[in-house]
Amino acid sequence: MLGQKRLLLIWSGIQFALLVLLQQAFAGWVSAIFLLLILYRLFSVLQAKRPVSLLLVNIVAGIIAVGFFLQLKQAGVLHFMLQILLLAATARLLALQHLYEARQLVWVHYFLLASCFILHQDMVVAVFILLVVLANLYSHFRLFSPASARLNGVQLSRAMLIILPLWLAMFLLFPRLPPFWQIPNTNVASTGLSDNLDPGSIEKLVQDDSLAFRVEFDTGLPARQLLYWRARLYEDFDGRSWQVNSWRKDASRNRYSSRINNNNSAVQRYRIIAEASQQSGLFALATPVGSSQNVFIAASGMLSSLKPVSQRLSYQVSSVLDPIARLSEQEQLMNLRLAPGNPATEQFAHSLKQQYPQPAALVQALAEHFSQQPFFYSLTPPRLGANSVDGFLFDSRTGFCSHYASASALILRYAGIPARVVGGYQGGVWHPQQGYLAVRQREAHAWVEYLDNGVWQHFDPTAAVAPERILNNLDSILPDDERALLYAGWRQLEMLQTLRLQLMHLDYYWSVWVLGFNDTSQQELWRNIKQHLPTIGYVLLLLLIVGLLGGVIFTVRSRKPSHDHLASQLLYKQLADVLSNKPSAQPISSYLRHVAKTHPAHYEWLNQVITLYEQAVYQNNNVALQQLKNVLQRQHTELRDLRRAIKNT
Amino acid sequence: MPDLTIKQRLYRYYWRFIERYLQKRQPAAAHVTLVQKLIFILPTRYGWWFLFLICLLYLLGTNYQNNLILLLSYLLLSLFLLSIVLSYQNLSGLTLHCPTAAESFAGGKVQPAISLNSDKPHYMLQLNLLPQREEVLLAELPAAVTLSLNVSKRGRYVLPRIRVSSQYPLGLWRAWSYVALQQHFWVYPAADGDSAALQHATEDKSEPAKNESGDNLAAYRSGESVRHLIWKRLARDPTNPVVRQQQNSMYSEPDWVVVPALSGEALEHALRRACLQLLKLEQSGSRYGLKLPALTVPQAQGPLHLQRCLQELALC
Repeated sequence: MLGQKRLLLIWSGIQFALLVLLQQAFAGWVSAIFLLLILYRLFSVLQAKRPVSLLLVNIVAGIIAVGFFLQLKQAGVLHFMLQILLLAATARLLALQHLYEARQLVWVHYFLLASCFILHQDMVVAVFILLVVLANLYSHFRLFSPASARLNGVQLSRAMLIILPLWLAMFLLFPRLPPFWQIPNTNVASTGLSDNLDPGSIEKLVQDDSLAFRVEFDTGLPARQLLYWRARLYEDFDGRSWQVNSWRKDASRNRYSSRINNNNSAVQRYRIIAEASQQSGLFALATPVGSSQNVFIAASGMLSSLKPVSQRLSYQVSSVLDPIARLSEQEQLMNLRLAPGNPATEQFAHSLKQQYPQPAALVQALAEHFSQQPFFYSLTPPRLGANSVDGFLFDSRTGFCSHYASASALILRYAGIPARVVGGYQGGVWHPQQGYLAVRQREAHAWVEYLDNGVWQHFDPTAAVAPERILNNLDSILPDDERALLYAGWRQLEMLQTLRLQLMHLDYYWSVWVLGFNDTSQQELWRNIKQHLPTIGYVLLLLLIVGLLGGVIFTVRSRKPSHDHLASQLLYKQLADVLSNKPSAQPISSYLRHVAKTHPAHYEWLNQVITLYEQAVYQNNNVALQQLKNVLQRQHTELRDLRRAIKNT
Repeated sequence: MPDLTIKQRLYRYYWRFIERYLQKRQPAAAHVTLVQKLIFILPTRYGWWFLFLICLLYLLGTNYQNNLILLLSYLLLSLFLLSIVLSYQNLSGLTLHCPTAAESFAGGKVQPAISLNSDKPHYMLQLNLLPQREEVLLAELPAAVTLSLNVSKRGRYVLPRIRVSSQYPLGLWRAWSYVALQQHFWVYPAADGDSAALQHATEDKSEPAKNESGDNLAAYRSGESVRHLIWKRLARDPTNPVVRQQQNSMYSEPDWVVVPALSGEALEHALRRACLQLLKLEQSGSRYGLKLPALTVPQAQGPLHLQRCLQELALC
């Protein structure tokens, strides 16, 4: 069995697929080594070479393993484990000689393929992994079956029919437990908003078309201008870029019980399915007041997960669409801090302050300034000098949301109003049929919050410059050449675009029903089952009764002609239509002879049947019985013709 | 028995218990069809490893709260459960039958032919006769299979239980059955004799010296008549008793194979010699008969006659 070239090819293919799937977990040189090993094996299979000697393989694998071990710090425990496992598998395949070694190989392949799901949960990739698992299963079957055994379609489908309900029932009903212990996580580069907001960082982000998260609303879709998904608070300004304050980073680890003062505002309840970002910061609308257990609300209404989001995470939030309350004196002071530079901005802020002493009026004036003066909204703003805000406000007047937010926050701070830049996402694409809002990285946005009357009021300067950006989406306000930046290459093809959309919808159901299935959904399912228990019971009972009746009828029917000889039973079964007109007293053979005479076209084979039948019955000849069977099978078409002929007469 | 280890002793008790259980469950029959009550199924070593894999994946899936890993673990678990049924199906419906009694000479191998019959295909069956460890692997179902069993003592034995097992399709479960067929096998005495007997049987007269004396001295074997002992020699060398064998009386009738009334080792020796004689006579094509102390097989010839004579020797 081991000599089978096909099996070796399958295993090499599986290992290659594993290498591709686990690419993220491996450094470049690690991948190169694996690629070399696998290609060498593939080459030696195709050249029909003998397996490499065990000693040599052990030495090579030992050296490589030491290399991996030296890299342990950089790679992390999980990646190290995956590397060692894949190394074991490739080395085993190189020196494969015995059957038990092949069994070990199949076992390790199963485990590695399962580990791929830690890194990939995309539907398409998951289906691919499942296919590779099936290939591995096939090789497993081959190890224990003779070379001549063929996969039988009927048997396979029968096996599927048993496995599928069993599988689903286990998945739906088997108890789901919380994690038993802390586990090492993958260290993959994070995506989405970073802790640092440069004047150019959001422009880069919006060219990324990948999904950030999806939202289902329990309470109906809010108005578009309310869809400000808060993700980051940038409170430290160094004269050019904004950073998340280090205190804020620490505070985000602590739970913060928000005071609920929702006497007038309605509560929005929604569910967010966040894509893996490798960050713990999550998204919520306005002031979140409650969330599911897997996430928590930190200070200032920031939502955070317990650990970096390394796979799709689904959580429930309820928010009040009210401004965030002031946290502390310290927070207020922190948002007044200034950095040297930008003198023109400072002057402009002071003059505004003199004109409008009230914060609300000042913000209103600022918005009017942006909309009335020739300010432009652009994805490709010119480079700015040392005093970036001055350069933007009084010189280029062209910028993206981060420029406007940064400038506005600075003006407010110069005017003595505590203000900060908020990073997050705005809007999203609503899919009414599927009932969810898809928020992509393209929807990344920055706006401003300023403190007024003890609450952090929301101010979006971009809305003043380009209100369509808020009311529709980014595409609608960009000129054609800039829009082309967003839809690079193949994304412009219409058909592919729709296909991609369909896939995204499928992926949505995938993440809701498969990835997002948790103990809450399971409890709900159990509750539903309990509720409909009588109905389910009746249906099952009915099925049982029908099945039993069918079984009884079948046995009674099959028992009736049992005192006839096997050959007679066979004829009655195969020639039922022909023999239905036979007088009961007449023997079968004489009746058939009569039929043969009246249908000369069928004379020859009927005669053969009669002879064989008589031999089988009267001499009790088993060989003749077998031949009779064969003849009836062979004369399938003639039999049909004869039936037709008899029916027509 | 005293030098058996505890493990071996326990194993012996275990087998005695199993034998008794099987005797009740499946007494010997001419045709045995494997049905539910005859088939036992337990996981193989690889099956336990597979179960361990499933548990590992469940832990991994739970710890990462990863539904896909859980799904895979459940898929493997349902495969594991399904393969119970599949391995059962691979064994059930097989009919075993041993049409003829096998025969062999002591010290050789008895090779009963078992005919196998079924309506459906069976793959990777392994068969062996119970005390024997060597298995016959059948990738596909042949019409008959020949098993083998080492035998050392003459006699008529009941065919031991046949173990039929298979790990098809995934090697996770071993389905097996101990089948007792109503059949026996013959072990004839091994054909050999001392040179004199051989020469007589072939009627080779090249060594007349021994024939003249008519007597032959041979070491005493337990069971020989004390009357033939040479007492003088016994007095000289008491550790090696010697008897006088009276050949003449035995070979007086050339077409009769005579076994004198002996017992123990001497009888065995005589039987082995008689066996050789029978074979030679049958080969030479003459009519011959067999005279045993209790029974006489009249003169005849042919393979059936030889078989009859050999069987009488085995039972003697």
